[in-house]
Formats: sequence, C-alpha cells, structure tokens
Amino acid sequence: MWSGILRGVLISVLFGFVLFVLIPVHVPRPAFIPGFAPPPDMWPRTVSIAGIVLGLIVAVLAWAGPVARPAPNPEKQPAEPVGLPVLIGRFALVVLAFGLFIMLVPRIGFVLAAILLTAAAILLTGERQRLVWGTIVAVALPIVLALFFNSALGTQFPKGPFSALLGF
Amino acid sequence: MRRILTGLAAAAMLAAGTAQAQNYPDQAITLVVPYGPGGASDLAGRALAETAREHIGQPVTVLNKPGAGGMTGAAFVSNAEPDGYTLLLARVGMALTPAVNPQSTVDWDAYTFLGELEASPMILAVKAGAPYDSVGDLVAAIEQNEGTMTYAASGATAIDGFTVQALLSDSGMDPLTAATLVPYKGGGALATALLGGHVDFLAISAGSLMPHIESGDMTPLMVFAPQRMDKLPEVPTAAELGYEQAGQITGWSALYGPKNLPEDVTAKWEEVLAKVADNETWLTLAERRGSISTVGQKNMAEYAKQQYELFHGLAQKFGYIQ
Amino acid sequence: MLNDILLALQAVATIENFLIMAAGIWGGVVIGAIPGMTGTMAVTLALPFTFYMQPVPSILLLVALYKGSTYGGSVSAILIKTPGTASAACTALDGYPLARQGKAGKALNMALYSSVIGDFFSNISLIFLAAPLAILALRVGPPEYFMLMVFALTTVAGVSGNSLLLGLVSACLGLLLATVGEDMYGSFRFAMTNEMQAGLAVAPVLIGLFALPELIKLIVFRNPPKTEPMKLGDNRVSGREIRASLKSILRGSTIGVVLGAIPGIGPASAAFFSYGEAQRTSKTPANFGKGELEGIAASESANNGACGATMIPLLALGVPGDVITGVMLGAFMIQGLTPGPLLFQTNMHEIYMLFIGMMVSSVLLFGAGKITMRAFSYVAEIPPTLLTSVVLLLCLFGIYSISNSMFDVTVLLALGVLGFAMFLLDIPAAPFLIAFILGPMIEENMRRALAISRGDASVFLSSPITWIFAALILFVIGITFRREVAKARQRKADRA
Repeated sequence: MWSGILRGVLISVLFGFVLFVLIPVHVPRPAFIPGFAPPPDMWPRTVSIAGIVLGLIVAVLAWAGPVARPAPNPEKQPAEPVGLPVLIGRFALVVLAFGLFIMLVPRIGFVLAAILLTAAAILLTGERQRLVWGTIVAVALPIVLALFFNSALGTQFPKGPFSALLGF
Repeated sequence: MRRILTGLAAAAMLAAGTAQAQNYPDQAITLVVPYGPGGASDLAGRALAETAREHIGQPVTVLNKPGAGGMTGAAFVSNAEPDGYTLLLARVGMALTPAVNPQSTVDWDAYTFLGELEASPMILAVKAGAPYDSVGDLVAAIEQNEGTMTYAASGATAIDGFTVQALLSDSGMDPLTAATLVPYKGGGALATALLGGHVDFLAISAGSLMPHIESGDMTPLMVFAPQRMDKLPEVPTAAELGYEQAGQITGWSALYGPKNLPEDVTAKWEEVLAKVADNETWLTLAERRGSISTVGQKNMAEYAKQQYELFHGLAQKFGYIQ
Repeated sequence: MLNDILLALQAVATIENFLIMAAGIWGGVVIGAIPGMTGTMAVTLALPFTFYMQPVPSILLLVALYKGSTYGGSVSAILIKTPGTASAACTALDGYPLARQGKAGKALNMALYSSVIGDFFSNISLIFLAAPLAILALRVGPPEYFMLMVFALTTVAGVSGNSLLLGLVSACLGLLLATVGEDMYGSFRFAMTNEMQAGLAVAPVLIGLFALPELIKLIVFRNPPKTEPMKLGDNRVSGREIRASLKSILRGSTIGVVLGAIPGIGPASAAFFSYGEAQRTSKTPANFGKGELEGIAASESANNGACGATMIPLLALGVPGDVITGVMLGAFMIQGLTPGPLLFQTNMHEIYMLFIGMMVSSVLLFGAGKITMRAFSYVAEIPPTLLTSVVLLLCLFGIYSISNSMFDVTVLLALGVLGFAMFLLDIPAAPFLIAFILGPMIEENMRRALAISRGDASVFLSSPITWIFAALILFVIGITFRREVAKARQRKADRA
C-alpha cells in the first residue's frame, strides 16, 4: 500500500513542479499572438493538471484498497540474492557512465569515449567469460561504425587527440 | 608514457593544422542546411553541394540540422571551428530571427559572409474561385471582415508571416489583428491549408505554390521579389503596387561560414562561386525550384545588415519587441 | 489505354530498374532494421544520386527505400525490442514476447506477410482511389484532424497493460515532453538551454525509451530474460493463424491507406490506430502485449499500408504529407516533373511506369524480407551481455549521425534512464511514445481550429467527420470505463 501511495505522490509532485515552477519561467507568452488564440502555455498547463490529478487518484486508490496486487515481475528479481544498496549502486554506476560519456566526448573524441562506455557497460553486466568477444565489441565495433558512418553519410564525429591515429 | 601520448597528440594536431592552412580543401566539406530535408533550402543546399564539388575538388556533404526556425543549424556553424570545413546554407531567417526574436541564439553578423546564392520569390495567393482578382480586392475584404479572415504562415515571426503582416501594415491596418494567423509547419502543409479552404490566403515561397498555380487551383495576386517572375509575367510585384515595406521582403539563400574564416578559404570560395554562377546544372536546378540565381551579385555583408535592420524596424513597429 | 500501359511496361521493365528497386528495398530493410538508423536517413542519403537518374527510377528508388525501412523497423522490434522506426513501436509490444517464447520466426513472418499485404493494398488504392481519397484528405481541416488524433490517442488505453491509470500518467509525460522546443507561433517552450530550442527528436526518444532500459535492467538485476528454445513449426505462420489475423490485416491495411492519404499523419499514427482497433475488437484483448500475433498483423499492415498511401496526396495534389514525401517532391522537381493534377494529364506515361514499378516493389519487399529475416535471426544467438552493448553502440553512432548532435545523444541516454525509472514504477513505455508522437498533432490542430473560430469551441463539432469521431471517442471511453469497473469488482470479489 505504501509504495502505491508513494508512487502516486511522486507523480503528482513531478507534474506539480512542471506546472508551478517550470511553466511560469520557461513558457513565455509572446506579444505576437492575438488574444483569442490559445497561448503556448495552455496545453502544457492542461497536461500538467491532468498529471497531478492522475497522480492523486493513484495515491487515493492505493490507500482506499481495491488495488490489484500484480504478480511480482520476474524481471525485477536480481539473479543472485543481493541487497538493495548493491542494486542502487549498480544503477548509480550506469548513470555515472552515461554522464561521463557526455562529458568526455568533447575532450577525448566520440570514438574513444564510446569505446570506454561500451567496455564499462560490458563489465557492468557482469560479463567475465567472453572477454575476447567483449574486447572486439568494445574496441573494434566503434571504430568500424565510425568509419562506416563517416564514409556513408560523411558524419564528422567529435575528434579527440587520438582520432588522427584512426585516420580521420 | 604520458609524455609520449601528449607528444603524439601535439604532433597530430600540428600536422592537421599545417595541412589545412596550405591547401584548402584537403577533406570533405560539411554544408549545414538549417531546415529539414526536402524543402526549398534543402534543395538549394544539395544543388550547391553537387555543383561546388566539381569546382572545389572535394565532396561537399549536406547535413540537415533543423529546429528553432533555423537557429539550431546556424548556431552549430557559427560555433564551429573557422577552418572552412563547416559552412552554412543561410536563408533569410538568419537575418530575420535575431531581428525579431529576443530568444534568438545567433546574431545576424556572427558569420563570415561568403556570398549570395539565389533570390526565392514569395507569392501572395488565394484559392482559385475566390472572389478577389487583385491585391486591392483582398485588402478591402480583409478590412471589411474585421479580423476574421485567416492566413497560413510558419509562425508570426517567420518570413512568410512577415510578408502578410507587412502588406497589412502598408495598407494602414494593424498587422496583428487585421487578419488571423494560422500557423502551419512546412511549405506542403501551408499549401494544403489553402487548397483545402481551411484558410483564406497566404504569402509563402514560390517553390511550394507554383505547382498549384500552374494547375489552376490557386490564383497568384502579387509576388514579393525584386522583379516579376519569368513564369508569372502578369503578376505584379509588391514594390510596383506601391507597398513600401512589403516591397522590400523576399526570400534568399546565401553561403555563410563561421566568423574569422582564413583568407585562403574565402578566396577559394570566391573563385568557386564565380564558377558556380555560370554552371549549367546550378542554373537549371535553381529554375526548377522556382528561384533566381544571384550568385556574386550583391555584397552579402551589406545586404544581410539591410535585411536585419528592415525586420528589426518592422518588429518594433508591429509591437513584437520593445 | 492498354497500349499506353504496355508502352510503360516496356519502358520500366529493364534490368537496371529492377536492380535499382531491389537495392532500394533491401537497403531500406537493413537500414530500418538497424536501431538508430531511420527511413528518413535512407531517403535523404539517396537524394543526391537521383540528380543523375531518370525521373521514374529515381522516384522508385526513394519509394523502395521508404517501404523497405518501414518494414525493416519490425525486425529489430521483434528480435531486440528496439523498434527501428516509430511505426514499429506497437510491433515490439507483441513481437518481443513472442521472440522470448521461441517464436521469433513466426513473429517475423507474420510481420512480413502483413507488411506485404498492407503494401499491396496501398498500391492498389494509389492506382484506383487516389482522386477520391485526395479529395477526402483535403476536407480534413484542423477540427477534423484534432478529433481524429484524439481518437488515435485512445489506443493508449489498450497498451497500458495492468493499470490504465499508470498508462495515462505515461501518456501525460509523453504529451509534456513533446512540447519542448519551438512553439507553433515562433516562441520557445522549456528551452532551458539553447539546444533545447530545437526540441526532442523522435528517434532518440523512441530508442532511448525502448532499447536502453533493457541494458540498464541487465546491469542492475543481472537477470537476462530467458528465451525458450524454438519448437518445431514455430518459425512459420500456419494457415489457421493467417486466417485468424486476416480481419486485422485487412482492417489495418484500410486504416493505413485512409490515414496515410491525409497529409501529415504518417505510418506511425496509423499503426497505433490499427493496433488499438484490433485490440478493442479482439475476443481476447488481454493477450495483447503478451505475444498476440494479431497485434503484429494489425500494426505492420497499417504502417506499410500508410507508406504507399502517403504518395496519394503527393501525386494527386502535389502536397507532401511528411518528411519523406517532402524529399520525394524535391526529387520530382529536380527532375522537372510537377506532381499534382497536371501530372495525370501531361505525364501519364511516367505515372503508369511508377505504378508498375510500385507493384513490383511489393514482390521485392517479400523477397528482401525473407533474406533479411534469415540474416538477422542469428541475433538471437548473441549472449545478452554483449548484444545490449552492440545495440547501445549502434544507437549512439546512429543517433549522432542524424544531425551531428550531441544533444540528441544526451536525450537518448537521459530517456534510457527515464525509461528504466518508469519500469521500476510499473509505468508502461508505449503510451509515452504514442502520446509523444500524437501530442503535437493534437495540440497544434486544436490551437489552429480555435484560432480560425476565434476561440469558439463548437468548431470541434462543426462537420460530419467530427461528429463521427466524437461519437467514437465517447464510445471508446464508455467501454474502457466499463471494463475498468468490472475489473475492480472482480478484484473485490477475489478478496472477499
């Protein structure tokens, strides 16, 4: 029950933040729209209000009772019995890896950053056996993809200090 | 180890740097089109890429970077390395948007102006069978209906919105309320709105309207261009009819680069554009998309400034900005 | 006339044209099947080549790429739960569970058959019904468009899974995210950084929401989804299964053709619409989303049905309905041909050639689909720990290449994290995507209609088309509500 209420409140707070904080600041009403035409903030406001109401209904229904208790999703069960902190830690590592990738691209180039991200992703999935294949995927595939997109579409990927060694 | 790596990197950068300075271009050039594929600007960009590659000796790759009224692509180029390998197919929007929208991210002069490419006329049209034979009739009807007549445009501050608003202002009406703007995205959707009778009139780029004018589904009333169009010799221009502000509005494309392009790059493009100006393919493609090639005819920096000031003045007059 | 057709046949039936179309279809299927590469990318890539080609082959090449990529999107949707194009999003809902049950071959074949049938239908409609459909399409003004898209949005109820409420929450999130960027009048919304002025593109949102959560799930829970071993006969579609889905295929094709003919709607919305319809009229609606072949049939027949039909407004009226037909219009103009009513008077020879070529391309689609299916079925052999990383790489490079934008890549990764958070909260992803795609059409047409009527809301009930859709919307809301109440009662009874 409590997780249901929390979920509902979370949803309402999210939409409330959009309605009361983001929209007043970030959705200006320009002078060039005539009065009778709906302004740019009408639709986001409507949707946010709907979201708040839906979140409250979710919370109230969770509190009032007739909530389906769905069968536990097998996808949400860790393979080995590990505690919640481990799960949260793994998730934090994913977000960290994604964030580092975005920050590293302008500094070390797209290809090298992609190699690092892929290597991290493969190691984080717990893969320790297929290291040869893992290395091929993490190192060779990004280079092949970069060469392919570069020749087929003429894409210029952000370059880093080592890009010259790859020939582009 | 670290020293070796830094050394390698420095050497690589040095090598790249000197190579660029001496024989531009030694690799593919990216031409950014700041609008989506298939439109008039995309076609102009691809036509330029196809013709320029013959003369410059390197492939020219077209990259569509649409969004924010063309400003996303414009910002991408103006922030790019000024090495001549990232160029912009500029449109009238590059001068218009900073003039009318305070949220705009790139100023009108944040570029190196490499040259003008084409003028693309805009046409004021109504649906065939509408009871207006001239601009005068239409303007009278707009006045009579007190704001209930509708026109389609890409937005209030887009070039095809300004065509109509300038006409309304020239006729002594309030451009904001004398007729109702109905925004649509893209030439195809705009033309459909008029064909389906969902709006009463519009004034958008000729390329999107010519097929419907030729098939008799739309009636052209006036062109926004320096001179009459070859294909529509009977249709007067706005300037001929004495519309002072509307007469200065037209569509155009130009080639821009990031600010501070090196001299050898600008010299090279001057040479290339001079050849493009007489290129058979370029001229036929321009005619087919309804444009007039004007390569090398104007001082682009001056023209861009003029256009910016024109639109800035209009936006102030219309009350869109302070 | 027969003579004209024979002449056109003679002109179009060359080895060269055949090869061009085969290459276009197959290239399209492969590009569509690779996550991160889109049909628009394929068509723009080919545009410069058409400068040097004859008019008809160049259009046929573009059409072939469009059709191929629309089908190709279903391959990755089924095998790795990553719709290669937005129009295959509903295909993933049933295709991926089928693949997990060891029935990937069955799902892939069903997708191919429905795509080819839908494609065939749209060709026939283009040839015989172009004029009336184009007239109908022109009558669809902002109010009609608005009602139509609201009705399409009711599909959300069908793809919400266990909880309609959470499905609606997901849809609200999608509607809200779709408003980021340039407003229709020219100002900006939620543009907290300069890059956000351009708004969020569909491809990174689609791929981020569907593909990346699989990787994050694998990392956090390390519990790869089990694939059951393939059983004999499970890689084919039986005659009985075809017959059971035939109604959905035919209805899907019709929905695809009619919606495709209206400029601006496109294959994705048609597929959502058709999926919702198939589920509503099914005897076993609860099976949808768990591996129902009919769901694949409905979605794939509609998206390929819409694909050919987007040519109707282009050829009959000269107006492009979406980006891809916009590129085609450009190709026509470069070739000195002007699509529109005049084309049917002055260039009948080319029109016949085009029609014949399009019929042939349906057959080619079937062949290319069969070949690609076999090649891609090895994907199932790759261990999930490596496969998810391969997908991640394809997405990163593909999404970056669409417009050389790190912002798109950031959106991709952020949506991956959001998708995982939604998974934890049991909020389904499909309603989000449907709302994200339909949202702008709903909002813009509502505001257009209100601008034209000067704020008078009665404009939404001003024509027969709007009445029909208003009634349909009320009907769907009614039965959905009744179903929910019945479900709640059932739960109460179970507890008592």
